[in-house]
Amino acid sequence: MSGPYLRYAARRLVQALAVILLAYVFTFVVVSILPGDPITNVLRDPQNGFTEDEIRQIIAAQGLDQPILVQLWTSLSHFLAGDLGLSMRSSRPVTTLIAEVLPSTLVLASSAFAVALLLAATIAYGTQFLPKRFGQGLLRGFPSLFLSVPNFVIGLVLIHVFGFQLGLFRVIAPNSFWATFFAAIALGIPISAQIAEVLIANLDHESAQDYAAVARGRGLGQFRLFAMHLIKPSSLPVVTIIALTLGELLGGSLITETVFGRTGIGSLVQRSVSTQDLPVLQAVVSLAAIVFVLVNLIADLVYPLLDPRVKLVGGPKYRPTTADDSSAGTPQAVTP
Amino acid sequence: MTVRFLPLSFSRRRLLVAAAVVAATALTDMAGLSPAQSADGRQNGGNITFLIDSLGSTWIPNNSAISSFQGHIWGHVTDKLVYVDADGKVSPWIAERWEQNDDATQFTLHLKKGVTFSDGSPLDAAAVVANLDIWYAGRKSEGINPIGLFPKTYDRAETIDATTVKVSFKAPTLGFIPTLGYHGSILISPKTIAQPAAQQADLSKTSGSGPYVVDSWKEGDFVKLIKRKDYNWGPAAVGHTGPAFLDSITYKLVTEPSLRVAAVQSGQADVAYSPSPQELKSLKEAGFITATPRYLGFVNGLAINTKLEPYNDLKVRQALQAAINRKEIIDTVYTPDWKLATSFIQSNVPGATDHSDLLAYNLGKAEKLLDEAGWIKDSKGIRSKDGKQLSLTLYSNPYLATAKAIDELIAQQLGKVGWKVFIRAYDVVTFGEKVRFGGPAVPAYEVTRSFIDAGTVASILTDANNGENWFNLGDSDKSLNDLRDKIAGAGSAQIRDPLLDQLQTYVLEQGYFIPRTQIVQRIYVQSPKLKGEVYNGVAYASYYTATISE
Repeated sequence: MSGPYLRYAARRLVQALAVILLAYVFTFVVVSILPGDPITNVLRDPQNGFTEDEIRQIIAAQGLDQPILVQLWTSLSHFLAGDLGLSMRSSRPVTTLIAEVLPSTLVLASSAFAVALLLAATIAYGTQFLPKRFGQGLLRGFPSLFLSVPNFVIGLVLIHVFGFQLGLFRVIAPNSFWATFFAAIALGIPISAQIAEVLIANLDHESAQDYAAVARGRGLGQFRLFAMHLIKPSSLPVVTIIALTLGELLGGSLITETVFGRTGIGSLVQRSVSTQDLPVLQAVVSLAAIVFVLVNLIADLVYPLLDPRVKLVGGPKYRPTTADDSSAGTPQAVTP
Repeated sequence: MTVRFLPLSFSRRRLLVAAAVVAATALTDMAGLSPAQSADGRQNGGNITFLIDSLGSTWIPNNSAISSFQGHIWGHVTDKLVYVDADGKVSPWIAERWEQNDDATQFTLHLKKGVTFSDGSPLDAAAVVANLDIWYAGRKSEGINPIGLFPKTYDRAETIDATTVKVSFKAPTLGFIPTLGYHGSILISPKTIAQPAAQQADLSKTSGSGPYVVDSWKEGDFVKLIKRKDYNWGPAAVGHTGPAFLDSITYKLVTEPSLRVAAVQSGQADVAYSPSPQELKSLKEAGFITATPRYLGFVNGLAINTKLEPYNDLKVRQALQAAINRKEIIDTVYTPDWKLATSFIQSNVPGATDHSDLLAYNLGKAEKLLDEAGWIKDSKGIRSKDGKQLSLTLYSNPYLATAKAIDELIAQQLGKVGWKVFIRAYDVVTFGEKVRFGGPAVPAYEVTRSFIDAGTVASILTDANNGENWFNLGDSDKSLNDLRDKIAGAGSAQIRDPLLDQLQTYVLEQGYFIPRTQIVQRIYVQSPKLKGEVYNGVAYASYYTATISE
């Protein structure tokens, strides 16, 4: 491993840490300046019978009467020490809350991702090799269709048809195999659209290349041509798309979890937003930022190692850049 | 074992039979046989699933017991000192009997013997004192709230012996005994009470003495309850005191209302909570059981801010009272399951009297009152005075699904007499902040509140004793203060009931409170296979007495 790469890697790592910290601070500030004060709101409920003096004491006991910068510093130093505090809403430790819901979301997100990849590959294959009269052109419309049908509509249709009509799964057991399967389909469909778009564009590009024509001339079968020659160069940008769809997976899981009655990060965020449960929101947003930054970091670090065309140009941004596109400052493959 | 007897009879014969049955059950259990039927001849066993739209925010017993969601679970996991049925009738439960002194400042509770919490500790006098103390005071520095509506006049509770508790108040508190049947007054093990808030928030670490215990739970997901086999101290009023019949009850969170109902329709669940009122008719026709129990408390209506112009004018308030067509609200937004308001408290509350005449829809009267008050109609039909339009802003209650539809209808109705009505819909947090506690700029805010004893009413209407001061009157209305003090000081229902009647007349005549309809906040759709549930005074369904057929 060369010196420039290590320097590049170190710079990227520092950048990543800075992004995580900024995400933390940003969330804190945004939630703090939002109108509405859920704590005093609860305390002032006349049913609770707190006097103004008692409310002041409680707020002081939680350090909420301190200037916002002091609160931020306290919160940040606890976060850096790994202490996520107690949920304001339920009084339970934030780490427990997250640990309870994380596995369900991980299962859903990874199966949805698998569904999306499979679906995207199938559609992309169809657009290249399906005879025109069997709707090759129609397939090209699928990604836009998938993107335009709301996630929850797909979910509700799946539940009514496969859950209630056919009885394949029960809404009261949302973590069963079939319930997870259909939830993954509902979440995977819109995500497959983006991957399919990129894949189709690249396949179009690659199959117009000389090597593809040569392979065809040698009488190579359609599937072998697709699987052995076209898919590899066409899927490199898909690596970048994976990092981008991560946000989509998180956002989509909120809706899918609600529709399918699953308890996960999405439903935790929803409850926490509606009650302005700052410690939980803070933790979840930071967690999302960490995952997001890590995946992007890995993609950036792996890219120059995988693709020999990518050179590390020592510009101010230290982004991996292909030799023939140094002006853009980004890997050429990202913009197919 | 199909012995039947009249429910509510508490004869020696019944006790003997019950004892024999318990012994027989124990024997069959030991023999590895599971008895198919209970002492009442009812089917034993079975599991049910209850689909609910929320499970509230925290499980700290004091903080959560006033939520309209967690009450379902607490009702099965915990017991109360007294039982209050749907008509407000108070009967013994953990307290077998009680006495009070003449001016209702001292009460002596005699407790049932042999009652235990699920952690093994006894439900004795000391446990009751620990509960009374935390209901009254909470542990505020730790974020454990007092129980809403627990009498603020509480002085102290002391143990006389293991099963006798003496409770003293600083002032007459006739409502004390009924309040013990309120959904907040749940008996929790002293070991649980001693825990810090973060521990109390873990439902599985909370022990009650109820017929069910928490088997497992996951926040925002489900709570599974399983029956306690040694339970033998149910309220006699429900006609059964032994262990519950159903083996387990699972409360599962499903936020999408159509899915909750569809799951019951397809047989995947047994009860769906909070369906939309409009669905009830077709569900009933399809053979499902629907329940719309009313709770004891205030009706759904508007509390008027009497400090704000033009609502400081009696005639304007009276016009508002007369210009609302309450029958039309029920016909348009609800179903015949909803009842017309006859007062500002629900008609099933003991002490509630019928004041329908004061709530009659009378367009002519409203027009005349507004004319007299100097609000003149212009060519567009809007009234104004001194260059100001007659306007009202309604803030739709985000807790009540039908609130906005009702507000829209009221806007039309008031429009007919020349009112200009604006409707604002806020989310829960903003609503709480700007509207719920009657912000100074809010002319009318929607209130609904459950309570058990009508005596509570008087303390809420003004700001005396840290009262909620609903109409922003403070202590300015002499007649109201007078009634409030007399009601609070009444030592018996005979003295209090006529005073309550006067209070209802006065508040409605003054147009301080504008009732809309009697409230049904808890709506249930149930599979016909599930039978025998009981709705208590706060309209929570208890499945303690329920059975399910295959």
